[in-house]
Order: sequence, then structure tokens, then C-alpha cells
Amino acid sequence: MDGACLALKSYVGHSQALIAAGVERLFVPRIISVYRGEYTCPNFLGLPDLLRPYLPSGVKLLSPILDARKGQGKLTRSYLRFGLKAAPWAKVWRAWKEACLMQRAAEISSQSALVPQGGLGVLVLGPRYLTDDPFLSGNLQGQLERLGARVYSPCQVSDQVSLRLSTNVEKPLFWSSARQSVGSLEHFQEEIDGVVNLVPFGCGAESLISVLIQRRAGAHGLPTLDLVVDEHTSYLGLLTRLEAFYELLERKKSG
Amino acid sequence: MKVTFPHLGHAYIAIEALLQGLGHEPITPPLTTKRTLEWGSRLSPEETCLPFKTILGNMLEGIELGADTVYMIGGWGPCRLGYYAEIQRIILADLGKQVEFITLEVPRGGPSQAWQRLRKIVGSTDVKSLVQGAVLSWTKLKIIDELENLSLWVRPRERERGSTSRLLEGQLQRIREAQSIRAMAKVRDRAELALQDLIDPKLTSDILRVGLVGEIYVAAEPFVNLRLEERLGYLGVEVVRTIHLPQWVEDHIFKNALGLYKQASLKRSAAGYLEGFVGGHGLESVARSVDLARQELDGIIHILPLACMPEVIAQGILPKVSADKGIPIMSLVVDEHGGEIGFQTRLEAFVDLLQRRASLCAANRSI
Repeated sequence: MDGACLALKSYVGHSQALIAAGVERLFVPRIISVYRGEYTCPNFLGLPDLLRPYLPSGVKLLSPILDARKGQGKLTRSYLRFGLKAAPWAKVWRAWKEACLMQRAAEISSQSALVPQGGLGVLVLGPRYLTDDPFLSGNLQGQLERLGARVYSPCQVSDQVSLRLSTNVEKPLFWSSARQSVGSLEHFQEEIDGVVNLVPFGCGAESLISVLIQRRAGAHGLPTLDLVVDEHTSYLGLLTRLEAFYELLERKKSG
Repeated sequence: MKVTFPHLGHAYIAIEALLQGLGHEPITPPLTTKRTLEWGSRLSPEETCLPFKTILGNMLEGIELGADTVYMIGGWGPCRLGYYAEIQRIILADLGKQVEFITLEVPRGGPSQAWQRLRKIVGSTDVKSLVQGAVLSWTKLKIIDELENLSLWVRPRERERGSTSRLLEGQLQRIREAQSIRAMAKVRDRAELALQDLIDPKLTSDILRVGLVGEIYVAAEPFVNLRLEERLGYLGVEVVRTIHLPQWVEDHIFKNALGLYKQASLKRSAAGYLEGFVGGHGLESVARSVDLARQELDGIIHILPLACMPEVIAQGILPKVSADKGIPIMSLVVDEHGGEIGFQTRLEAFVDLLQRRASLCAANRSI
């Protein structure tokens, strides 16, 4: 797929691997928005259409439209409507309730996850599809921990907090992920010593947001490291840059 | 206020008229050149797209000429154009430029905020000149579009290479100077006749027709698309535009602001390929390509800036449209490292292919 970012390319690869493993139906939602008044990245808006040409014709895509632009209620409704295609009402409702509980539990556990003491604090920003995947991110988180860093990430900050903290940007951010990045930077500014921003090559949103993040981090006296990754990235080179950055942070800390 | 604004093809002619109506002094930056691009890209974040860089360059060149205010359009996503203005404002402020930056968008926030912004946009003027400016500007935009479309038809048929572009440029400057609708209509009528006079009467061979789809800025700004329309014209190809500035202003600015912009017909055309909008012109590119295939054009060129998210989606889908509808589609990606020769070679190869295909079809039909 020409011009697409690393996340999108690996998504196609993941889907093809699932098909090769015998999957006949694939859940590929069309995610327009996950929060009121905001958008996800444009790639999510066309995801099922983009994926379609790369899959054999026998595979069925399950693609509900998830759109929370007009509020969370709409999002709930689109999930329920999708469920009703497969099961009766009572069952769908029960499944929905259960899913909500699980999601809530997952969010709480990630937000209250204890960060180990000691070392320097580093905030890792970037699309979660990449940062949460040890292979695609070159095990960024693991490597930082190996160097002795306390690693923070935007998923430890709730929507309410990041929304409140990102409002002092002159223009409200209309991408949810960007709002989370900026919000979490503000939230953790006391605890961290530096920011690592993982940017997929060719990502339109990140190219602008990294400017904002650099400025805001600079205002708090926090060094930033932008790591641009694509499928040709050498993770050894990435590691060298990460180690150099961490050393710099240590030197800065010790004065 | 002395107001500068970014270029978009010949739109500056209409924008000047509008600004005068609003009671401002327009400072039109020089046409986009290599200098603009180099200046803009030196100060831009590395990975932003080509339009961001040339637009920033336009602003800098406008400020150099003495502008104290910058107008730029904004938006609320998901295309990143919506955030351009904000980043450009920050870059200009960091450079220490003492300019007021006004983003034209539907503001979020209360009516008082909207009113404040409107007060800033409208300078010291009365209602009469405001309306007059708006009408003049709109008429200019429409006439420019008409003449440009006609020149696309004339260029592959012209007797003397380059005469169409020369004539068009001269007539558009007269439109720029015209101060009344009647004067403009006169220029248009004369220009239309003059353009038709340029046609070679001895021309017998069939002219290839190629549709142009893609992102509006790169499609409409000749410096950025390396004069694509002219190049195709000289190769003997009639370009069919799918992006018209007056239409775009109507749909995306007026109707969108009022919430009346419906994409039903686009969605219908793109059904089966792209279900729904993806920001920017992604849906348009796919829908128009399907429409063009139905109109039995010889080929389609899809032009996009590097790393444009909505168009990358379209680029991923268009090969399927091409295969299903049996129409050749070529995607051209432009960035600041555009090599003219390589670009020309690709165009020539594509046109060769279309010619071969057309003659094969004709031969088949005669059997």
C-alpha cells in the first residue's frame, strides 16, 4: 500500500495472517470518532474499504460505523445496532453491559498502574497501535525500562483529565489521540524528565502534533526525542538514539 | 488592514476583490515560485505536506511586502488542513513577525466569540461596498473557472504551442482589473471568442480526454503540480477537471457552515468502493473517478501531496475502480523534491498507453 503509514501496513499484514489461519469473518469497524466533537485519524474512517482489496473475496468484513461525534450515546447505539444483527435484544444488552464493565476495569487498571520508583521518568507518546506493540515499536518500552527509566504513557490519563489539560492550546485539538498526547504531557510534567514521541512516517496528524508537543515540552524544560519509524527502520539504530537520549537526560539531571 | 493570503491558482483575483469589499488593502504575495517553497520548507516541520510549505512561503512573502494581517482557512478535521493555520500562526509568532493571524472557520464557542471574529474580518466598510465586493468576487471566481475550463479544451487543439496559456493569462489580468460585472462579461465574451480562434482548423485526429481528480490544492495550484494541465495539453490531451473552485466554495464553505452540505450523490457514486467520508477530498476522488469512468473518458490522473491521509485512502482504492471499470488511473504524488523530467516521463508514458489503447479500441470497433 503506497504512502500508507506503518500502522496501516501492519494492520493489513495482521488481517492477512488471520485469514491465513482460517478466519472467515473479520471485525473491522469504521471508527469515525470515539469522543464527542473529535475525530480519529482519517485512515480509520476508510479502514474497511482500504482493507477490502487486500483480502480474498470469501472473507466477510463486519464493519459497524462507530461515531461518537454527537456524544457517547450515539456510540452505544451503534454498537447495540450492530449486535442486534447477530443476536436477540436481551443477549445483546447483557453482552454490552459486560463489555462496558470490562472496558472500565481495563481503563482503571491502566490509569492506576503503579509506576516503579527510581530512575528517570520518560513519557512515551505516539499511536498506541505502535507503542503497545513490542515488535513495531522496537520494544521501546522494554528498552527504556532496561535503561532504568520509569515509563509513562497517555493511556494512564483519563479522558476527562486530558480534555481539561489540553484546553489551554489556543485551538482545541480535533483528533482524540493528539488531545490525549498533549493532555498527558501536561498531566505528567512534574514527574517526567523527557518525552519520546514515536511518529510513523507519513502520518499527517503526528507531523503537526509533534510541533505542539515539542513546544510545550520545551516550555516545561523537557527534552523531546522524535523517533520516525517505517518498515525500513533499523531498530538497532533506534536503540542507539534512545540510549544517547537517556544518557543526555541523566547528565541533565545530575547538573 | 493590509491583508495577505495564500495562493490557490488564480483565486487571488477573486480574493482581492472580496478583501477590497471588506474594506481591507489586499497584499497579494508574488506567485508561488521556488523561492516561496524554499523559504516555507526551511521553517516548516519536516513531515508536513507540500501545501503547508508553499502556503507558509506565501505568507512570508506577503509579510515581506508589508502585510500586517494574514488570512487562512481552518476547519475541524479530520483532515489536517484544519490545524494548519494554528501551526503556521505559531511559526510566524516564533519568527517575531508582528502580524495578526485570522483563521476563517466556523468558530467553536459562544455567539460572542463568533461575533468578535466576524468584527475582525469585516474592516471599516459599509454594507453596500461589502455586498458589492462579495458579488464582484464571486463573479470573478466563476468567470476564471469558465475561461480556464475552455482553455483546457482549446490547448490540445491550438495551432501554436503556448498561445492558449498566453492569451488566458492576459485575459485573466483584465478580469482582475475589471470593476463591474458588465466590464467582466465583456472581457469574458471576447476572451471566449479569442480562445476559440486559436484552434487549428486542420486538426483531424481524435483528442484524448483525461480526467483530473485529487486534492484540491495540488490540483489547482500550477506551481505545485508542475503545470500538469499545460503539460497534458501539450501532449495533445484534453483535461477534464472535476474540481471547480466556485463549486468548492459553495459546498465546503457556505453549505458546510450552515450544515447543508450533503454528500449523498458522492456516496452513491463511490458505493462499493468507499462507504462514507474520510476527510479532505478522499471521497470526492473515488466518487468522481467512478463518474468519469461512466462518461467514457480515456484515463484518469489522481494527484495528491505526499503523506496526505485522505488521498492515501483513495490511492489504495483507485486500482480497484480502475480494474472494475476498465479505465487507466495513474496516481501522482508530489512533494518538494519534485523532479520535472521524471514527472514529464511518467506523463508521456501514460499518454502513450492511452493512445495505444484508444487505437486498439477503434480497430476492434471497425472489425
